[in-house]
Amino acid sequence: MLDTTVDNMIEEKPKIIARDVKVVYGDKEALRDVSLDVMDKTVTAFIGPSGCGKSTFLRCFNRMNDTIANCRVSGSLIYDGQEISAHDPVTLRARIGMVFQKPNPFPKSIYDNVAYGPRIHGLSKNKADLDGIVEKALRRGALWDEVKDRLHETGTGLSGGQQQRLCIARAIATEPEVLLMDEPCSALDPIATAQIEELINELKQSYSVVIVTHSMQQAARVSQKTAFFHLGNLVEYNDTGDIFTKPSDPRTESYITGRIG
Amino acid sequence: MNSLIVFNLIVSVFAFFVCRAKASRLREKHTLLVASNTHWGWYGFLNVFIPTLVLGVLIHYVGIYFINSGIRSSTALEFASHAEYLLVKENVNASVILILDEISQIRFLSSFIVIISYLISGIEPALLAVQSGTTIEHLDLVVLALKTKIMALTATLVLGVVIALMQAQRSINTVSANYNAREKVEFVIISLLGLSSLIAVLTTVGIVISLLSETINFAMMHSIVDFLFGTVWNPQFTSGEVEGYGSDLGILPLLWGTLYISFVALAFSVPIGLYSAIYLSEYASDRFRSIAKPVLELLAGIPTIVYGLFALLTVGPLLRDSFTQPLGLGSNSDSVLAAGLVMGIMLIPFVSSLSDDIINAVPQTLRDGSYGLGATQSETVKNVIIPAALPGIIGAVLLAASRAIGETMIVVLGAGAAAKLSLNPLEGMATITAKIVNQLTGDTEFESPETLVAFALGLSLFVITLCLNVLALYIVRKYREEYE
Ligand SMILES: Nc1ncnc2c1ncn2[C@@H]1O[C@H](COP(=O)(O)OP(=O)(O)O)[C@@H](O)[C@H]1O
Ligand SMILES: [Mg+2]
Repeated sequence: MLDTTVDNMIEEKPKIIARDVKVVYGDKEALRDVSLDVMDKTVTAFIGPSGCGKSTFLRCFNRMNDTIANCRVSGSLIYDGQEISAHDPVTLRARIGMVFQKPNPFPKSIYDNVAYGPRIHGLSKNKADLDGIVEKALRRGALWDEVKDRLHETGTGLSGGQQQRLCIARAIATEPEVLLMDEPCSALDPIATAQIEELINELKQSYSVVIVTHSMQQAARVSQKTAFFHLGNLVEYNDTGDIFTKPSDPRTESYITGRIG
Repeated sequence: MNSLIVFNLIVSVFAFFVCRAKASRLREKHTLLVASNTHWGWYGFLNVFIPTLVLGVLIHYVGIYFINSGIRSSTALEFASHAEYLLVKENVNASVILILDEISQIRFLSSFIVIISYLISGIEPALLAVQSGTTIEHLDLVVLALKTKIMALTATLVLGVVIALMQAQRSINTVSANYNAREKVEFVIISLLGLSSLIAVLTTVGIVISLLSETINFAMMHSIVDFLFGTVWNPQFTSGEVEGYGSDLGILPLLWGTLYISFVALAFSVPIGLYSAIYLSEYASDRFRSIAKPVLELLAGIPTIVYGLFALLTVGPLLRDSFTQPLGLGSNSDSVLAAGLVMGIMLIPFVSSLSDDIINAVPQTLRDGSYGLGATQSETVKNVIIPAALPGIIGAVLLAASRAIGETMIVVLGAGAAAKLSLNPLEGMATITAKIVNQLTGDTEFESPETLVAFALGLSLFVITLCLNVLALYIVRKYREEYE
């Protein structure tokens, strides 16, 4: 695993480049001077104690912080050669998808859930086209076999793990290049968690995945790069193997050995 | 009675403090008590207060019983009807109150003063003083009632004092380590709570039963089929006719008027209320919301009679001058449209604040999910928030409908009194509620179908609004469960 990571690093240029990103809520500083590169076709994990700013940073990537009234983002975030703040948020969010902590399927049918994004962005020419997009997304979300006979039942009736995979399928239905996941397994049982992790592993082939997680085992299992945040600072960002075997910062070491957090 | 209550309270409070002090002394001697000091205090208090209160109430009603049977068996009077007896009773009671007031002009400790002055000089001076101002009818009955009353007061006071002191003594003696005073006190508290909810339920049941029984009375005088399916409402207010003959009492025109006006009101208030709720909860700035919401709620606090005046004096004439007369449709200022519009204005804040609550209850995670997929705010509102809130909004609309159907003042003043089955919204029509007011304020005798029909109308109204409310609550509750 370590080898492929190194390969990736050499081959791929960064997908998102963050420089000196600073976020404040009102007059409260939540994130200070964070700089890192998110690589393509790589799973990047954000770890750190609660409230250290992982979600805040993640939400900078698809401008979800815009929806929070008192949140201000400064610094530079470059995606696709252009400042993220210069992108249109609507198309930006189609290209950078997001999966949330709590599965949040809309109170619509499974089909309509997945078709939501494509419909908004006008990605399908006709019904058959849309059917194809929905099927493909559900297949990639590893949910197709379980729901193919009940596409028109409501999405809220699925189990927690299925709901979360539905949300992943919904996010990838718009063919994003980056997938942001904010603690996607924290509301799930171990079996559903394993299924999601397996899915992440496959999604890595085509997307750049950024995952916030509370579980260091999960970070070690699914990611190739890991960033450790503490009190609004990016403390360390390195290959996952290095972070867990030879952390360079004492705070990282304390956290991964369970002394802070 | 009031002297006793004062005395009672003093003894009860005394028992409270003595019991508590005794319990805390026991505790200081390192005895482990089953109940806390405060429990013991309340134990003493309740032990004195409840028995004396029950005694007072009991004697009061025994006194009333004797007075009433005295009046009933009075040989001088022959009561032709129950109503006549009630009238005499009322007269006697009024005189008794006047005389008691004359004896004791001080409210505080009044029964004590009444008894003392009775023992000193009898009731004659007070009787004379009152008689000089007004004439007292049935003097002998009044004297009888007065004496009974004073006897009851004396018995209450004497027995009350004795029992209060005895109970205080007894509860102070009970204070001990093992006696479970906590259980007793809590039993009283729970009983009080239970009693409160029982009262709420029983009054509702009582109202329904009285409606039902009067409706049955009505059904025995007038054909119920005519009532339920008759298309003409034309009560005759001339007495002396053969009962149930002269009047047509069909509910259908009234039901039509009610539904028509409610429909106009809802057609007006639901879109506006809903849109304002969406604007307020999704788009408005915090500053605007902090001003607009209280203003809307203020609108909900305006008494309906004010809306009624508005319909009668402003909207009605306005509609008449701008539509009805220019179009040659008559010269009516009472109209379905006027009443419906004003009722709609009344319902806007109701619909809006209910919908606002429901829209706010749609979880933030759903909005985030939609924004995260690149949906704009309007797309999110249209595709996610409204569908998610729809069951709740339907419930809110049904609740608004049940308010519209039960609304009285606006339709009495704004819609006129003509019961008709017509489609023209510029005509006046009468509703069920308006006719209930009409039938009960008319100058007819109570036991006639023309009056009793009000109860049948009331029962019909009750059934309609009950069904609507049950349906609405069911939908709203089901919707809530979805997001728990
Ligand atoms: N909407 C918000 N308004 C104000 N403060 C916020 C908001 N969201 C997060 N914060 C604050 O920002 C800091 C970082 O939060 P967050 O990014 O959610 O942490 P994490 O995801 O690492 O647990 C916390 O101190 C939190 O209190
Ligand atoms: Mg978080």
